[in-house]
Amino acid sequence: MNTALVAAAPRHAISLRSIAGRIGLLPALLVLLVAGMSAVDAQFYGLINVLNILRNASLLAIVACGQALVIIAGGFDLSVGAVVALASVVTAKAMAATAAAFPGNNALIIASGVAAGLGSGAVVGLVNGFCVARLKVSGFVVTLGTMSATAGVGLMITNGIPVYGMPEIFVKGFGRAQALGLPTAAHIALIVILVMVFAQRRTLFGRYVYAIGGNVDAAVVSGVTIQRHIVGTYVVSSVLAALTGILLTAQVGSGQASFGGDRMMLQSIAAAVIGGVSLRGGVGRIEIVAISALFLTILGNALNLLHVDSRLQPVFLGVIMVAAVALDELSRRSKPRV
Amino acid sequence: MSDLELTVAAKDTDRPKLALSHRLWSAVLPVALALLLLGFAAVDHGVLSPANLLNIAQQTSYLALFAMAQTVVILTRGFDLALGPTVSMVSVGSALAMAGATASGHGTVAVLLAGLSAGFALGIACGLFNGVVVALFGVNPFVATLGSYNIAIGIATTLSSGRPVQGVPAPFSQIFYSGSIFGLPAAIAITVAVGLGLHLLLARTVFGRSLYLIGTNPRAAAVAGLPVKRILVATYVLCSGLAALGAIMMTARTGSGEPNLGGALSLQAIAGAVVGGTSLAGGRGGVGTAVLGALFITILSNGMNLTRIDGYVQMVVLGAIVIIGVLLDRLRQERSA
Repeated sequence: MNTALVAAAPRHAISLRSIAGRIGLLPALLVLLVAGMSAVDAQFYGLINVLNILRNASLLAIVACGQALVIIAGGFDLSVGAVVALASVVTAKAMAATAAAFPGNNALIIASGVAAGLGSGAVVGLVNGFCVARLKVSGFVVTLGTMSATAGVGLMITNGIPVYGMPEIFVKGFGRAQALGLPTAAHIALIVILVMVFAQRRTLFGRYVYAIGGNVDAAVVSGVTIQRHIVGTYVVSSVLAALTGILLTAQVGSGQASFGGDRMMLQSIAAAVIGGVSLRGGVGRIEIVAISALFLTILGNALNLLHVDSRLQPVFLGVIMVAAVALDELSRRSKPRV
Repeated sequence: MSDLELTVAAKDTDRPKLALSHRLWSAVLPVALALLLLGFAAVDHGVLSPANLLNIAQQTSYLALFAMAQTVVILTRGFDLALGPTVSMVSVGSALAMAGATASGHGTVAVLLAGLSAGFALGIACGLFNGVVVALFGVNPFVATLGSYNIAIGIATTLSSGRPVQGVPAPFSQIFYSGSIFGLPAAIAITVAVGLGLHLLLARTVFGRSLYLIGTNPRAAAVAGLPVKRILVATYVLCSGLAALGAIMMTARTGSGEPNLGGALSLQAIAGAVVGGTSLAGGRGGVGTAVLGALFITILSNGMNLTRIDGYVQMVVLGAIVIIGVLLDRLRQERSA
C-alpha cells in the first residue's frame, strides 16, 4: 500500500527520504551493526559464530513471518511461544511411540513425528482462528487463553521432563547437519520466507490479508470472505511456530516443554514491529520482517561478544524497539496526509 | 398519529424485557462465581471455611489491585505489558533502598520512607516513560510497554544481580502485610481503600470521565477540547503507581526484594480485568469489573488447588476460562445493546 502511494506520487517527490522510506532504515542499521562488530571483534565473523547467528535467526524468522501475517490481518498471536513448546514435545513423543511400534523404520518414524508436530500446531491455529473469526473474541484475549492452555498441555504430556527417543538420523542427519555450507534451519527459513513473500504479493490470500487488516468493512463490502482468511492467518502462524519447534527439537535432540515460551513470543512480535508491520493492520512486508529477525539475533550476539552483562541486555532490546517504532511514527507524522 | 402511538407502545413493551435480559446477563459472572464456590465446596468442605475465605480475600486483594491498574489504561484502549516487570523492579528497588538506609544507621521511619519513595519513584518513572512514548510519540501501547517490559526486567535483574534482596525491615512487613486495620488484614484493607478511591476518581471526577470518553471515541475527546495527551500520560503514571503499591505489598509479604516477583503478572492482570468485563476496545469497565475478574480467577485457582487438580491442567482451565469469559461478555453486550 505504501509503495503504491509512493509510486503514484509525482517524480520530484522521490527524494532521499522516500528512498529511505521504501527500503527502510533497518537494512542500513544491519549493515552498520555487522561492519562495526567485524571491526571490533574478529570472532564475530568466524565461521562458528556466523553459523550460530544463522541458526538462531532462522528459527526466529520463521515464527516472526507467521506472527507478521496475523498482525497484518489486524490480529495478534500470543500463543506462538507455547506452540513451539507443544510441537516439540508432540513431535518427540510421536517419534518415540512410532519407534517403539516400528523399530528401525526411520522414514515412518520421522514422518509421523513431523506430521504430529505440525498437526498439533494446526489444531491450535484452528482454535485461535475459530474463536477470533466465528465467536468474534479479540485476538489478544483468545491467544492469551490458548497460550496458557497450550503451555499447560505441553507440560501435561511431559510432566516437564525432556522427551528422548528420536532416531539418530533426525538429530545428526537433519537438525545439526549443514547443506551447501548452511545449517538446515537456514534452508528451511529461506524457503518459508520465499513462499510467504510470494503468497503476500502474488496470491489472493495475501492481498485479502492486506485488505482485511487495512479496512475490514471495505473488505466485506468488496466481497472478501473474512472468516476463512482470518482462520488462515492463525493456522499459518501456528504451523510455522510448530515448524520452529520441530527444528529446535532436531537441533537439541530432545522434546522440551520449555522451548519457545514468552521470550519467543515477545521476540517474534518485536521482530514484526521493528520490521515495519503496523499493529493497526494492513501494513507490512515479510522480507523486511525476516531482516529484522536477523538484526535482532545479531544484536543479541553482538551484546554477548561485547561482554555486556546478560542481565542488562533486555534494556538494549527494549530501547531499540521503542526507538525504532517511535522514529517510524514520527516520520509518518511529518509526511503530509493524503 | 397512529404510527407514533404504535412506536410508543412498542417501546413500552420492549423496555422491561430489555432491562430484564440486561439484568440477567450482568448477573452471569456473580452467579458463576457462587456456583463455582459451591461446586468446589461440594468436593472439599474446606473451601468454605472462614480461614480459606479469608485466604481467598487476601489473595484476591493483590490481583484485584493489579487488575485495577490495568483497567485504568485499558479504559483508554491501552495496555500495560510492563506491569509485571515494574512490580519486580519496584520490589528490588525498595528493598535495596531500605537495606541501604538500614546499613547507614537511619531510624525505622527514615528507612520505611526511603523504601516507599524509592519504590514509588521507580514505578512513576516507568509510568512516565510508557505515557510519554504512547501519548507524545504516538507509539502503539503494546510496543511501548513491550519495550519498557524489557527495560524494567533488565533494571530489576541488574540491580539485584538476579538474587533476592535481603534486608527488608520487620516493621515494613508488619504495616503492609501482617498488620490489620479494623480486623481486616493489611492487604485487604489497602485494596479496599484504593478501590473506593479509584472508583470515586473514575466515576466522579472530570479526569475519570475523560478516560471513558478517550476510550470510546478519542477524536471526540480531542475535539471536545480535552488535553488527551496529558491525560494519557497521567493514566499510565496512575497505572504504574498502583502497580508500585502492589509491589510494595508483595515485597512485604515475601520479606525480600524479588527480581522475579512480577513474573506473569502483566498478562494475569489483563486476564483479570478482561474476564470481569473490561472491554479491550476501551471505554467500558471499572473498579467493579477488575475486582470481579480477580475474584473469579483467584477462586478458580484456589478451588482447583484444594481439590488437588493438577497444576498443568489448571493452566488449560484458566486459558479456557479467559476466552469463555470474554465470549460471554460479548454476548451480554449484544443482548443489552
